[in-house]
Amino acid sequence: MSFWNWLWQRKKREADLEEEIQDHLRMAAQERMEQGLTVEQAHASAAREFGNVTLVKETTRDMWGRVWLETLLQDLRYGLRAMLRNPGFTVVAVLTLGLGIGANTAIFSLINALMLRMLPARNPGQLVELLHRYPGEPRMNGFSWHSYEHFRDSNHVFSGLIGVMPSHFQVRGEGLEPEAVDGEYVVGDFFPVLGVKPVIGRLIGPQDDQMGAAGSHVAVVSWSYWKSRFNLDPGILGKRIIVEDVPLTVVGVTPREFFGLMTWSRPDVWLPVAMEPAIGRPSRMTSGRMGLGLIGRLKPGVSIEQARAEMSVLFQFTVEEMTKNSKDPLWRQLKIEVAPAGAGLSVLRDNFAKPLLFLMALVGLLLLVACTNIASMLLARAVARQREMALRVSLGAGRFRLVRQVLTESLLLSTTGSLLGVFLAYLGAKALLRIITSGRQIVELPARIEIDVHPDVHVLLFTAGVALLTGVLFGLAPAWSAFFSASAPSLREVGTAGETRLQRLFGKSLVVAQVALSVVLLGAAGLFVGHLWNLQHLNLGFRRDHVLLVTLDPRRSEYKGEQLSRLYQELLGRMEAIPGVRSATLSGATPISGAGASSFANVEGHPEKPEDRRYVSLNWVAPKYFQTLGTPLLAGRDFNYQDQGGPRVAIVNQAMARYYFADGNPIGKHFWLDRDWKGFGPDKTYEIVGMVGDAKYYDIGEATPRTIYFNAFQEGHAPSHFALWTSIDPENVAPEVRRAVREAAKTIQVAQVTTLADQVDASIVPERLIATLSGSFGALGSVLAAIGLYGLLAYTVARRASEIGIRMALGAQAADVRWMVMTAGLWWLAIGIGIGVSVSLAVGRILQNRIWRINSADPLTLAAVALLLAAVGLVACYIPARRATKVDPMVALRYE
Amino acid sequence: MAKKQRYQNRIELLQGTLDMLILQTLQWGAQHGYGISQSIRGRSGEVLQVETGSLYPALHRLGTQAWVSSEWKQTESNQRAKYYRLTAAGRKQLLSEQARWEQIVDAIAGIMSPVREEGQS
Repeated sequence: MSFWNWLWQRKKREADLEEEIQDHLRMAAQERMEQGLTVEQAHASAAREFGNVTLVKETTRDMWGRVWLETLLQDLRYGLRAMLRNPGFTVVAVLTLGLGIGANTAIFSLINALMLRMLPARNPGQLVELLHRYPGEPRMNGFSWHSYEHFRDSNHVFSGLIGVMPSHFQVRGEGLEPEAVDGEYVVGDFFPVLGVKPVIGRLIGPQDDQMGAAGSHVAVVSWSYWKSRFNLDPGILGKRIIVEDVPLTVVGVTPREFFGLMTWSRPDVWLPVAMEPAIGRPSRMTSGRMGLGLIGRLKPGVSIEQARAEMSVLFQFTVEEMTKNSKDPLWRQLKIEVAPAGAGLSVLRDNFAKPLLFLMALVGLLLLVACTNIASMLLARAVARQREMALRVSLGAGRFRLVRQVLTESLLLSTTGSLLGVFLAYLGAKALLRIITSGRQIVELPARIEIDVHPDVHVLLFTAGVALLTGVLFGLAPAWSAFFSASAPSLREVGTAGETRLQRLFGKSLVVAQVALSVVLLGAAGLFVGHLWNLQHLNLGFRRDHVLLVTLDPRRSEYKGEQLSRLYQELLGRMEAIPGVRSATLSGATPISGAGASSFANVEGHPEKPEDRRYVSLNWVAPKYFQTLGTPLLAGRDFNYQDQGGPRVAIVNQAMARYYFADGNPIGKHFWLDRDWKGFGPDKTYEIVGMVGDAKYYDIGEATPRTIYFNAFQEGHAPSHFALWTSIDPENVAPEVRRAVREAAKTIQVAQVTTLADQVDASIVPERLIATLSGSFGALGSVLAAIGLYGLLAYTVARRASEIGIRMALGAQAADVRWMVMTAGLWWLAIGIGIGVSVSLAVGRILQNRIWRINSADPLTLAAVALLLAAVGLVACYIPARRATKVDPMVALRYE
Repeated sequence: MAKKQRYQNRIELLQGTLDMLILQTLQWGAQHGYGISQSIRGRSGEVLQVETGSLYPALHRLGTQAWVSSEWKQTESNQRAKYYRLTAAGRKQLLSEQARWEQIVDAIAGIMSPVREEGQS
């Protein structure tokens, strides 16, 4: 039976029942008339005997079955009518909920994509990854080939251990435009261990991965590559593609949903790792710099702890290997970790989990504020609707029916809100992702991060759950009120005495809760806004404004070594001639770019114990570097062009000088660097000719590292990062700079132009995002709390209008009335702020230093937040208080 | 006062007996709702009064069980009314309810007058 058919039958039955009852009444009346009653008496008597017609109908209908749907439809109809009757309230409530639920859904869909969504592999819960952690640095999943072989052949905990190395390939072939695609080198067991089956053809297998035997020349491509380049033509099997000049045969296609193990990338080509020596240029395998990501599948019954225990033993092999190649004593402290990898590798999680979880907590709080806000609005409305409820009760509606009705209305509101929310979240999650990934490149991750944040089943379930929860949460108060108003003795009494003490207290505690929650929300926001402000106003040791950074790419030019040095010297001259440029320089690394070099220094006369040795940061700079960057020269001299060919010179920063030299004066002292790949050694001794102020190097949050600067031109290899100090907006000189480069050398390309301010900003994207979001959430929360406070007081004034009228008639002054109303509101405000501050302090103490390096229980911030909220609350109280004085005593008195 | 007295004399129907009474009433022919209530009241000597709030749900319940069927017919006074009629299934149900009822009556009687039972045996 179709729904419409059913509905039609339903209508017919309804009419039948109505007629049946009317017949009953008519027959009963007729019989009474035959017994001699008048027409009126007979009808009245019959109706009396029959009882409550509505109730009879309702209980009879209950016998028909499928009644819940019927009543649901009716409830929905009532609910819609109620929503439309109060369009203002409905719009505000739906918008509030839409924002609240939308924010929650947006953050959750990011968390889902990064942390929860399982890899498209068989039994992903068994997958773990291996990570090593160098003291003080983020953990990394990158191992040498030897380590991999050792782990693979000696462990007893994994049913399979696989390795993968992301790369980029230049791919061309018959009918294919040459293009750069993302790809991965994988070991032979990669697909079998993951349990991935090909769509067509076969995948790379152990037979393709014979190290030393040059590997077989095969490639596997992704489904999307197959579709976009070959239009799903099965003829792709056996096709020849040329990867970096090496011809390979396509043997298979991976399933559509498979994207590898990294949630942030979508590789299109997989090659056997045995092909790397032939394809990589330079080969990372032969140069020993291969970073193989290792993923294991735990044997059934083996716990991750057991794997951890065994891997720490096997890891000694890697540690020995590392220490053999480096004198860094900290390699000894290298630790291995085993982490679950069912949801993909952890790099991205490690970087974004904290801010995301924190934001999740914030939006959760915001939604709670929104809920209490709507609950208190609904509660006030419920009191106003008591007459309607009482009417329904007297017409035969049961208490629970009323409660269900009110809950349906709330759920209707929250559902509408969540629909809006899902839409907002879809836009929001994409925007969030863009902002998050707009920061500087993360070590181990590609520059371009692709994450699929489309709302999947998990996200939609989450939103539905949130909608249901919020609907019930803010619907409980009015439902409760409806339940009790149903017991109102009569229609007449409802309007005046309907509200019990308990109900009033409940309404007020909702407002208190809103204020308290807003304090917590604003408090958290305040911390992060403060943290960001500190970061932005930190003395970095260099100027961030008015500096243009230009990176050149000379690789495709004919300029090499000395030639390039000379060209760059000439270019610096041209740049300085550009109007608006004060000085120009170049360096091996620009501040806070996230890149840099380091080594161990041996300072003459200051022997160090091996375990005390620490890396010092290195940079190669041209003359005028310190002047351009605004780093003060504290002693000695700057580099100059005459250093070329002269004795080796260096400049150190104050941190370096303080550490090594008791008097803090490094001028004239000598040092040499450990021998390593940069060609240093004891035979290259440097004299320190200058000392500069401390300046941040990698990160603005770090303690300034000990830094040594070398003269770029003296070393004979000119780096390509130019920096220009400008007197005008640095962006404005960029076109002139490009022209200068073009004029000096056509074959040299401009790789990147940015400002130092932007570069610094890019390093604190998460901090800025959290500060901005938490700030706006906090503002929204306090506006909601103010609305709640205002609503409560305005409602109180309306309810007490007659009392106020009497007071004024008896001679109370406007100021008295105002004060009376305001104190009521201010009390609740004060209690709310009090609770909020104590909760913030308690939570702050727990979180102390766990989230970044922020003082999370900063009393000053909290005091400011409390003051801000008090000010907002004061305004919210003042408006209804002033309105109270406008009560006309006569009108108020006549009202009853 | 007299009316109040009458109400006090009335006996609450035992759970589940209303269905049986309705089926029993319909045994003598099709009847409409008002007729059924009047019939039960009359046959019980005004003791059992069926509330409309129980009667109509019961009728519709019996309808969904297919123990009674219903159709619109003309009354003796030439007006339309909905008549309920016992179906074959309803007749079977009535028999089984009757048997159950007798069991209950016997059981309760046994409890309420145990002395006589002992005397007999």
